[in-house]
Amino acid sequence: MAVILLPGMLATEAGGQRRFELDAATLDEALRSLPVANLIFDERGVLRRLVNVYVDGVDMRERDGLATTLAGNETVRLVGAIAGG
Amino acid sequence: MVRVLVGTRKGLFVLVSGDERREWTIEGPHLEGWDVFHAVLDPRDGAIYAATNNFVYGATVHRSTDLGATWTRSDEIGLPESSGVKLEKTWHVEPGREGEDGRLWLGGAPGVLFRSDDSGATWEVVESLLHHETRDRWQPGAGGMCCHSVQLDPSAPERMYVGISAAGVFRSEDGGESWTPANQGTAAEFMPDPYPLVGQCVHKLLLHPQKPDRLWQQNHCGVYRSDDRGQSWERLDGNGLPSGFGFPLALDPRDPDTAYVVPEHGAENRVTVDGRLGIYRTRDGGESWELATNGLPEPAWASVMREGFSFDRLDPFGIYLGTQSGSIFASADGGESWSEAASQLPTILSVEAAVWP
Repeated sequence: MAVILLPGMLATEAGGQRRFELDAATLDEALRSLPVANLIFDERGVLRRLVNVYVDGVDMRERDGLATTLAGNETVRLVGAIAGG
Repeated sequence: MVRVLVGTRKGLFVLVSGDERREWTIEGPHLEGWDVFHAVLDPRDGAIYAATNNFVYGATVHRSTDLGATWTRSDEIGLPESSGVKLEKTWHVEPGREGEDGRLWLGGAPGVLFRSDDSGATWEVVESLLHHETRDRWQPGAGGMCCHSVQLDPSAPERMYVGISAAGVFRSEDGGESWTPANQGTAAEFMPDPYPLVGQCVHKLLLHPQKPDRLWQQNHCGVYRSDDRGQSWERLDGNGLPSGFGFPLALDPRDPDTAYVVPEHGAENRVTVDGRLGIYRTRDGGESWELATNGLPEPAWASVMREGFSFDRLDPFGIYLGTQSGSIFASADGGESWSEAASQLPTILSVEAAVWP
C-alpha cells in the first residue's frame, strides 16, 4: 500500500492523522480518497495551485501528475507551498 | 458567561468573562493556520461557526459544538461550474432565526451567499444572487467582492438583507428567492454616476433588532440610516463625524437611535483620524455624534476591520472593538468607559460577542 504523509495543518483537519496507507491505482485516486480531499482539491475537483505533491521525493509534475500510477510501495508527501507571512 | 470570539489572521481566540465583564481570560488559539474572517456563536444551541480561509487550502467553514475544543469542517461548499466563478473567500456566517433549526447563511466572495439547512455540513449557493441581473455592474473593493453582511428581519420570516462590496445593499422579501437593490440615496462617489442603482461600496450593514425597519450602514462614502427597509437612506456623517469613511458599525441592542462608528481618514489613508482611536456615538439617530475617549489610547493610529466591532445583549450592554494591531477594547457600560481586554493578539479580523454559559 502507498503511504500518504500530510503536513501538520491537513493532519489536524484529518482528525490528527498524519499518515495514511492506501490501496490506489493512481495518485489521483489516492488523494481523492483522503478525508481532506476538499482542501486539496477545489470545488471543480482541480488540485489547488499551491499544494505540492511528491512521490518518493520527486515532484509529481516531473512524473505524470495526478495520473501517476502507484505500484503500492511509494511514499507520497503533500506540502503546502512556502509563501506568505 | 460573556464570550468574545476574536477572529485573527492566526486562528481564533475567545475572551471569556463573567457578566461583570471586568476580568478576561483568553482561550486559544483555535483553528491554527486559518485566517478567521468571522466567527459567531449560534444563540440557538451554542455552536460556534467560523468562516475560515487559507492561502493554500482555500475557503471553508468550521463548526465546534464544544466551545472550540474540537472542530469539524463543512463537507461541501463551492460554486457551480456554470457560474464561471469559484469560491474565493468565506466572510460571514449568520445563524438562522429561532425555530429555523439547522439553518445558516454564509456570505463570501465573489459576491455570493450560501444557505445551509444541516448546521453547516453542506451549503447551497443562492442562485438568485449569483445570477442577479445587475451582477455585471458589481466590482470588487480592496477586500475582494465580499458578501460581508447578512441581516435577517426578526419580524418578517421572509425578509432579509445582504451587503456586498462593491455591489451595495440588496433586500429579499421571499427568503432569498429574489433580490431588490436597496441603495437609493447612498453615494458611490468613485463612479461617474455617484448615485447608481448598484455598485455602492457598503462596508457594514446592521438591522436594529427592536426596530427592524431601521437599518444602519457604514459605507465607503458616508454613514447612513434607513427607516423604510432600505428603500431610502439618509446620510449622517455631515453631522459631526470627522470623516464619512470607515468600516465597522455597532448598535445599542435596546435603543434604535444609538449607533457607533470608527471613522478613518479616507480610502487613501485607512487609519483612525487625528492620531486617536476615536469611537463616535450617536444617541439621536445620527443627528449628532460624540467622541468617546475614556480609556481609549491616544495617540493611536489604528485600523478596525468591518467585522471588528460587536455588542452583547446584557443590560447595560457591552461593546467590543478589535484593532488590526491586536488589541481588544471593551466597554461594559455602553461605551461610557473603555479598557483594553487583550493586547498583542495577531491581526484582528473579526469580533463577535455572545452570552452563553
